[in-house]
Amino acid sequence: MRNLKTDYFEDLQLFKDGLQLFWSAVLLLLLFALPFFVKTYYLTIINLMAVNVVVALGLNLLVGNTGQISLGHAGFVAIGAYTTVLLLKAGVPFIFALTASGLVTGLFGVLLGIPSLKLEGPYLAIATLAFGLAVTTVIGRMDFLGGRMGMNVPKISLGWTGLKYDQSLYYVIIIITILAVIATRNLLKSRIGRAFQAIRDSDIAASAIGINLTKYKLYSFGISAFFAGIAGSLWALYLGFINPTLFSFILSINFLVIIVLGGLGSITGSVMGAIVLTYLNLQLEDVVEIPILGDALLRFSELFMTATGVSNVSWFLTGFILILVVLFEPLGLYGLWLRTKIYWKRWPF
Amino acid sequence: MLGQLIVSSLVVGSIYALLALAMSITYKASEVPNFAQGEMAMISTFMAFVMLSSYGLPFYAAMLITVVFAFVLGLLLEFLFLRRAKMPTPLNLIVITIGFQLMLYGFAGWKWGSDQRQINLPFSESKVIFQNDIFALTELNLATLIIAVVVLVVIYLLIQRTKLGLAMKACQQNINASRMNGISANRIMAITFGISSVVGAMAGILVAPILTLDPSMMWDPLLKGFAAAVLGGMKSLHGVVIGGLLLGLVENLFGFYISIEFKSVVAFAIIVLILYFKPSGLFDKHYVRKV
Amino acid sequence: MAFFQIDNLSKSFGGLKAVDQLDFQVQEKEIFSIIGPNGAGKSTIFNCINGLYKPEQGKILFKGNNLIGRRPDQIASAGIARTFQNLELFAHMTTLDNIMLGRHLSMKASIAAVLGLSFKRSKAAKEELQHRRKVEEIIDFLELESARDQFVSNLPYGKQKLVELGRALALEPDLLLLDEPAAGLTQEEREDMVFWIKDIRDLLGITVILIEHNMQMVQNISDRILAINFGKPITTGTPEEVLGHPEVIRAYLGEDITQV
Repeated sequence: MRNLKTDYFEDLQLFKDGLQLFWSAVLLLLLFALPFFVKTYYLTIINLMAVNVVVALGLNLLVGNTGQISLGHAGFVAIGAYTTVLLLKAGVPFIFALTASGLVTGLFGVLLGIPSLKLEGPYLAIATLAFGLAVTTVIGRMDFLGGRMGMNVPKISLGWTGLKYDQSLYYVIIIITILAVIATRNLLKSRIGRAFQAIRDSDIAASAIGINLTKYKLYSFGISAFFAGIAGSLWALYLGFINPTLFSFILSINFLVIIVLGGLGSITGSVMGAIVLTYLNLQLEDVVEIPILGDALLRFSELFMTATGVSNVSWFLTGFILILVVLFEPLGLYGLWLRTKIYWKRWPF
Repeated sequence: MLGQLIVSSLVVGSIYALLALAMSITYKASEVPNFAQGEMAMISTFMAFVMLSSYGLPFYAAMLITVVFAFVLGLLLEFLFLRRAKMPTPLNLIVITIGFQLMLYGFAGWKWGSDQRQINLPFSESKVIFQNDIFALTELNLATLIIAVVVLVVIYLLIQRTKLGLAMKACQQNINASRMNGISANRIMAITFGISSVVGAMAGILVAPILTLDPSMMWDPLLKGFAAAVLGGMKSLHGVVIGGLLLGLVENLFGFYISIEFKSVVAFAIIVLILYFKPSGLFDKHYVRKV
Repeated sequence: MAFFQIDNLSKSFGGLKAVDQLDFQVQEKEIFSIIGPNGAGKSTIFNCINGLYKPEQGKILFKGNNLIGRRPDQIASAGIARTFQNLELFAHMTTLDNIMLGRHLSMKASIAAVLGLSFKRSKAAKEELQHRRKVEEIIDFLELESARDQFVSNLPYGKQKLVELGRALALEPDLLLLDEPAAGLTQEEREDMVFWIKDIRDLLGITVILIEHNMQMVQNISDRILAINFGKPITTGTPEEVLGHPEVIRAYLGEDITQV
């Protein structure tokens, strides 16, 4: 194994070494082969995971890397979703609708960033929370946005691929997600990503070395919202139907939970957090279905709790798992991954 | 009409003020906005409901038990979870409170289902107890105002006049120096969470008759309470109370004269606007780090 | 026209006048020290120069341009870099990234351009590598090779001070403000620091203003010294003149001793 680097570019290239390249290629191949041997149901789960990955990447950029909290990201996702639907209905091709959704949402991100520049901690939390709330309330009142009833999302034309619609959509979402991961990775390695982290660690020193705090905080808000907008666009497509209640405060909290669970400030963390939490949420939704354990739970509920409320166990467990992660692995799943890697590298010592 | 509006604003505002105060007490001590505050109040309110309805206890006994229960709940949050955090950064602690919130929410839904219930307090929300040309006051309105004032006075005396209050202030200023001077900072922190939880529970019991008793009953009031605290300045105890009353006023006046649908949004918009000019709320000094 | 000049500068906090009608000039390629007891207003001067504080009155002229009213990042791009008394490092980043951040102003890649960073031919990658070489030179100069890939919060204090100095040097400033560069260092590290500061002036041609409490170091290193107390100047001059000045001795050692 070669440990010494001979060229500074080795710190910039996408794959550290041949081994990493190999495993990435295997993963990619697997992802692309998947639609041919699993049921559509599993594809939709992966779609949901992928969409959450995109939001998490953006949110982590803002929270984990720039150190600004946001409790309103569901609002950005909503803006992205609604922009896409409006544009698709107007006959705009999907690729433009997607780009426009990202850009429009990014603009909203900058607009929210402006009053938030001086705010910290709970003050920023309230400002972003207010934004998320405002977005869904306003959408609920707008008739051309379908009001509270919501809107159907037009199908995009993917016939040229020669595949089934669900399969083509899966490829669209996966490709965009992979691009988002690479874009985030390059951004974070660059002068701009470094500036974000500098602001997080010491805004005073950051300004003293020439970083324009206003500009870079707005960049961070804008880029973070851009990702949420793209994710919203994709989410609308695969749901096929959107309404304001989808984008509630709970969704914003869910995104925050993803990045904390995965690991703040880490791309791997964003990806792992999104995958694991999405899976967990789906599993816990029908907790009674789990063999043996589900029966026992139902019996217990009938005796001590209520049988009708048994689905609420999922909230209880999610909360409990969240606390356990923060208590025992504050760097999240990414921290766990790092420790496992180090353990195997050193084994058997 | 304006007179009546102002009175109802004060009533709603005093509930916001109680929740804001509850959040502020713990925020001052730990720099953590406690997102579980609302659910802690909700569970405590359910406790009061069970004592009153299922066990048929008299009101005062039920209240006493509820207060003790709320206090213990606050202690538990601090003792079981917050204190154990390996990396107690504000964000990590916030996530712990969110986790606790989800646990309590899930527990309540599990235990009591999603049926809507009615809590029976000895003061009715419809019976008018006082009326003149300008406004009318129901029993519940009056009780709300009285209880809010009593809680505020008790908290004020507790912090300003007791040894415990002095220790709480010392821990807020410098936790390590407090430890070195023989204050058990952990115990003080736990007690602070306990007190905050009791204040929140009072708010919960007072809103329960207006809303219906269900697991999500505190979501909206808590957001308003949090917003009120931010408006006043999270670390200023009198500030958050004024923030609560102001928020009640803005919301009600806007709701009546312009649009009831947008009243929450406008209330938040005004708060964001105020924060733009006063980034640490109306009554708290904006702290700039020294180098 | 002086290279750097402060005219009639005042800054107060509430009723306390931290800097009170202060004047001084610094010549190009000079090592100029500011001394004074704790709370005399030394760091406040730096914070005013660097744009963190807005003074109530006065001018700060750098190469003839008034700096008052500019933001810290604009002052950095005018060519003034600084270090901090209690270290303001980017704690969760490596030494390399900390010093790379010093190159921020000279790097120009836009958001769109940096997306191509992982391609060797891209403009962003070329720029990154070019500045990386520059940073490696600084790492060489300050002998920080062993710390390059470590998180700065894990480094010993002396090394952290060097990283901060390296970050300031990476700006390639014309004027360097050093706030107590030797505080908390061991005897050996302090001697190295003296050596580096002299090199910074002699080899790199950078003008240095420093705040320091260690009189031996100040005497050894400075071309001229300004002594202040209560925000007002006591005297300015060569090390011998200033350190022998009775008022300076009184300010440092107290009233009684000079009377003896």
